[in-house]
Amino acid sequence: MKFNKKTAMLVSFTLGTLLVATTALADIASKSGYDQLKDALKVTAQQCSEKFDSYTMDLSIEVKDNGKTLESSDSTQKYDRSKPASENINSGSGNQNNGAKQYSYSDKTSMISWQDNDPTYYVSEYTNPEERQAGFFSNPFKESSADDFEKIADAVVGSLKDQVVVTENSDGSLGLAGSLTEVQIPALVNAVVSLQLKQQFNGNRKDMPHLTKDVFVKEVKGTAKVNKDGVMESILGTAVLSGKDEQGTVHEVSVEALATLSEINSTTVTKPDLTGKKVVENITNENPSSEMSNPEKFMGKFKNDILIEKDNKFVKVGERFVEITQIDNKTAAGRYYEVYKPGFEEYATAQRDFKFAAKKSEQQGNPIYDITTESMNTGKGIIYFDQNGGKINFNINPLSNGGLQFDSNFSPDLD
Amino acid sequence: MAVFQAALVNEIEKLYKKKKALVAVLLALAVIVIGQLAIVGVRSGFGLRGAGSVEFPMLVLSVVVNTILPLFTALVAIDSFSGEFSQNSMRITLTRPVSRFKIFTAKITAIALFILAMLFLLLFFSMLAGFIFNTNSATWVSVFQTVFSYIVSLLPMLVLALGVVLLANTFKNGISVFFVAILLFIGLKVLGVLFSQYSSLFMTTQLDWYNLFLINSFPLGKIIRQFLIMLGSCIMLFTAGFYLFDKKEF
Repeated sequence: MKFNKKTAMLVSFTLGTLLVATTALADIASKSGYDQLKDALKVTAQQCSEKFDSYTMDLSIEVKDNGKTLESSDSTQKYDRSKPASENINSGSGNQNNGAKQYSYSDKTSMISWQDNDPTYYVSEYTNPEERQAGFFSNPFKESSADDFEKIADAVVGSLKDQVVVTENSDGSLGLAGSLTEVQIPALVNAVVSLQLKQQFNGNRKDMPHLTKDVFVKEVKGTAKVNKDGVMESILGTAVLSGKDEQGTVHEVSVEALATLSEINSTTVTKPDLTGKKVVENITNENPSSEMSNPEKFMGKFKNDILIEKDNKFVKVGERFVEITQIDNKTAAGRYYEVYKPGFEEYATAQRDFKFAAKKSEQQGNPIYDITTESMNTGKGIIYFDQNGGKINFNINPLSNGGLQFDSNFSPDLD
Repeated sequence: MAVFQAALVNEIEKLYKKKKALVAVLLALAVIVIGQLAIVGVRSGFGLRGAGSVEFPMLVLSVVVNTILPLFTALVAIDSFSGEFSQNSMRITLTRPVSRFKIFTAKITAIALFILAMLFLLLFFSMLAGFIFNTNSATWVSVFQTVFSYIVSLLPMLVLALGVVLLANTFKNGISVFFVAILLFIGLKVLGVLFSQYSSLFMTTQLDWYNLFLINSFPLGKIIRQFLIMLGSCIMLFTAGFYLFDKKEF
């Protein structure tokens, strides 16, 4: 009897342990639909940024209220990584851009944009092409914070992981589908999302129904298609928000988004032919923080007005000048002075006129120069050369004096 | 069988006479009242619906399975073992002509019945509150799903109770059992979040397993795996607990 009891206990304990161990292992090994979705996204992002020579991405979004379309937009992006060049076509109805199609083309040296209803082509030429390569699709999973975000997403998704259903097709492609109705969405998530969406809808759009009562997320569903190479070809998501407006009418606002990836390795991006077209051209340096390619353009006088407030009006009492006498990519020198108009000399109590020298600051790439003046009692300051705006920002402390606000923005004095 | 029945009735009566059971019931009702007030507040304050009549019981369930239900299950389980060890009333129980196995089983059954009673109580009152105060969003399917979710929550609770019983038979002091149980519970919860791919190993993740039954596609494989894990844990913990209980000298 004693022996039997012991054996029975041993057997049942072993059985229990084995049962837990094997099923737990099986459970860990089995990939949930959510994991497969994540894998597909990772593969797609990696292939798009590293392997495919060219592809077309399309994203269309439609917002409906009780079945009536409020707004729709469609954007197609064609990438050719071998050139590299990309093309962008945006169209949309609703209160933005009146349904006109907008195009843009960009490669290493130029960006051209134009519109359906406007014959003008806007062309920007870039002076530093080597810095423009990064403008193409980069893999978001390669970012240093991607791992942390993934962990957070996993934790948030939590028990909803199993909501994604995978169907395998005979050709090796996968279909992923998932749907959440109101019972399945955790109440807290539902409340936070509804509040967010409610404020978004109510805040900035006039044609959106103004939901005030009983707002809740009714349904969220999505489907995705993954081809046999593990690349996601399309993903469709729908969310339905239900609520009542002030009159008590029930609105069901649905947002549908469809993203597709197509024409892999067969997309062609062609630069538009500009011959005989109306062209507006400007030369820009895309990245204002980069090193200046031609600092000499900042040689000369820059000025702004000295203003005071008098009898409820702004009155110009004089001008501030910054004169750059020498500049290159490392150093700059010049003079700062103020000129007061006749009749306003009383404000010129601390009229300043000093020379300064400046040295490029340590900050990587930025055209910011640290100022040192002859008489150091005026303190230290910086100059920032705004290449796109053609302005300089001259800031030196302390420059403001009683009643007159110092304006650090100087425009070129071209007269 | 008659002996077992007598032992079970005895255990249930002991449980029923204790204040803890009453406190558990009152707290459960308090959760429902507070939850309902919060929903009403959210509705009038932010204009959100909060929860409909069916979602409210689910909201209550998601809160209680992670808080007061494990807490009171642990308290009751500890009371049933450590309490009697320290008061020496276990001797009286054991002097009856009932085998230790039957006493152990009767105690476990009583705890399981307590959990079940709590779940039904919560289900009844949260449904009542849900229907009285919230917009009606019920369909027969969703009502059935709700009832089912409450019933299946018994299983992970039972695993938890058996775990606590094992602890109660390992440590002498009831208070230390309680604290070890709480620390383990929190620890497993944290591990489940940090290592979400291995979460099926930790017993606390199964507390939410009722969610699996709500999924439209009904993931049978996953449900069976989770069920087997819990079944295995039950067998393992029951045997280990009984082994210690059987060897104990009073």
